Amino acid sequence: MGEFFSFLQNNLADFWSYTGFYNASPGHIAMLVIGIVFIYLAIAKEFEPMLLIPIGFGILIGNIPFNMEAGLKVGIYEEGSVLNILYQGVTSGWYPPLIFLGIGAMTDFSALISNPKLMLIGAAAQFGIFGAYMIALALGFDPMQAAAIGIIGGADGPTAIFLSSKLAPNLMGAIAVSAYSYMALVPVIQPPIMRLLTTKKERLIRMKAPRAVSHTEKVIFPIVGLLLTTFLVPSGLPLLGMLFFGNLLKESGVTRRLAETARGPLIDTITILLGVTVGASTQASEFITWDSIKIFILGALSFVIATTSGVIFVKLFNLVLKKEDKINPLIGNSGVSAVPDSARISQIVGLEYDPTNYLLMHAMGPNVAGVIGSAVAAGILLGFLI
Amino acid sequence: MTRNKIGIFLSLLLAIGLCSCHGSTDRSNTKLIINEVLIENQGNYQDDYGLHSGWIEIFNKSYSSADLAGCYLKVSSTPGDTVSYFIPKGDILTSIKPRQHALFWADGTPRHGTFHTNFVLSKDKENWIGLFDSGRKLLDQVVVPAGILQANQSYARISDASSEWEVKDDSAEKYVTPSTNNKTIDSNPKMDKFEQHDPVGIGMAISAMSVVFVGLILLYICFRLIGKLSVKLRKQNAMKAHNITDKQEAKEKKLGEAPGEVIAAITMALHEARGADHDVEETILTISRVKRSYSPWSSKIYTLRETPNRK
Repeated sequence: MGEFFSFLQNNLADFWSYTGFYNASPGHIAMLVIGIVFIYLAIAKEFEPMLLIPIGFGILIGNIPFNMEAGLKVGIYEEGSVLNILYQGVTSGWYPPLIFLGIGAMTDFSALISNPKLMLIGAAAQFGIFGAYMIALALGFDPMQAAAIGIIGGADGPTAIFLSSKLAPNLMGAIAVSAYSYMALVPVIQPPIMRLLTTKKERLIRMKAPRAVSHTEKVIFPIVGLLLTTFLVPSGLPLLGMLFFGNLLKESGVTRRLAETARGPLIDTITILLGVTVGASTQASEFITWDSIKIFILGALSFVIATTSGVIFVKLFNLVLKKEDKINPLIGNSGVSAVPDSARISQIVGLEYDPTNYLLMHAMGPNVAGVIGSAVAAGILLGFLI
Repeated sequence: MTRNKIGIFLSLLLAIGLCSCHGSTDRSNTKLIINEVLIENQGNYQDDYGLHSGWIEIFNKSYSSADLAGCYLKVSSTPGDTVSYFIPKGDILTSIKPRQHALFWADGTPRHGTFHTNFVLSKDKENWIGLFDSGRKLLDQVVVPAGILQANQSYARISDASSEWEVKDDSAEKYVTPSTNNKTIDSNPKMDKFEQHDPVGIGMAISAMSVVFVGLILLYICFRLIGKLSVKLRKQNAMKAHNITDKQEAKEKKLGEAPGEVIAAITMALHEARGADHDVEETILTISRVKRSYSPWSSKIYTLRETPNRK
């Protein structure tokens, strides 16, 4: 009988060594708290809920403590585990292009086609990426890490994940979380900079109404866009190819079902998988470090630089434009490709100064140009550093 | 004027295309190449039987797998006397992974396995070695000049897939590398270059931003021209529809320049006209709270979130 109780005791002790309570460390607890904070921000404050909920819950999933040496094949870094298989989409970099397919299928490029000079604002805002790159180098990151961090300034989550998975996989969790956090904070970061850099007169500029764009132009755009950008930067092909392909599905008018799938079920599925696995990949040992803190600071700076450069570029551009073609500098911020949040900020700030001046459609031009610009910038960084 | 601009733009694109194509004509599309050859093996790499024989290293320079099954390795040290080795099919080891190597023993004993050829390399004469695909199309060839190699020295490309060859003598800089990279990659040259020449990052910023601007300026020029062409075509169609041939008259009447309000009014009228086809029926209006699933990804309107408020 005593032997039997001893067996039971050993069995329970063995079981106890497998539990999360036994294996928990302060790092695990800290990460779980971070995950819960993300979920709170998503639900209570509605900060990017579509992404912060999967990422926040992913952080919980990825930081449940367990006996790593037991070979349970449950951890995201254990080969053959379910999470590891789902994580392949991130490490191999095929989730972000699929997200871009959906983005292409839901994006209307009319504003850009009708006023193509707005593309240059999208290009100017990419200074955020390279400003952050330079600061990251100064903080001691190597060029590949600095480039992966700099791409946060592109304000494009999938692009940030795509590039960091190639250039600095160990920083990917912090970079992805930082990128999405600041995209959620666009309404907080951008307006003060926009007000600071513009005069009242500039904020009241009324832009010419965009002309109607024909169906043919809309069909030509993704084809020419793909050819021009990828001939120049072939390393951006996965992102740009899928973006323009998705847009052609939308604009062709004959593949409605495919476009609906790309911008609906497909992008939703990939968003869920991407969010959860990126969240689960943030382990305390990698995430709670000084580097992560630096990445968060650099992320904020990159958004500030991107917004500043966009607004200043419009002001400079206005110097060479005719009076009737002048651009309201309040749409300069929308070169930051957080679609459509930054365009919406242009609209809101513009309405504060003139309740009848609607800037949304004008701001959508640089906004979608920013998507193209950040994908091109990611391709350039890949081409330069790999 | 517009035609001229389009012509200039297309010519520029064509010129850029032709210039870039010119550089790529010399490039071979072959995945498999001969990478290194060792003729006299006295104390170098040994095979599974513990024997030292000459060897030929094949390199898959592509980023996808390449299969050697069915290919031919041919050797000739005397003109008109070529020995051919058919690489057997059915051995999964003949599939070479991306950027990896396969080593063939030139020991004249094919019964030792797939990677043992039916020929030996001549120590005294010049050796011509050719790799042919299953359709007997030449993939790559190399001539190892007579007398340049001593025992345990190899004739190899300076680095994997480079076009220049050198004698590897097992010194610190030039070492014999059977089944591995001809030059050990222990650094990232691109990154080192940036670390050395551009520690601040200004060079990267300037060059990358230039490319971003060039890309988007090209798109801008292209769509400016397409836009002008589109407007012109629209005006021409409107002139045809109104039977007007005089451009001045068309301009005065603003043909093809329907403002947004007019388009909206026409659309509304069409909508109403279609709606009018439907019979007016007795209806009961029930007002209930509309519940829609929150889906910002699939609707632009839903993506327009409110400014975060402290609750």
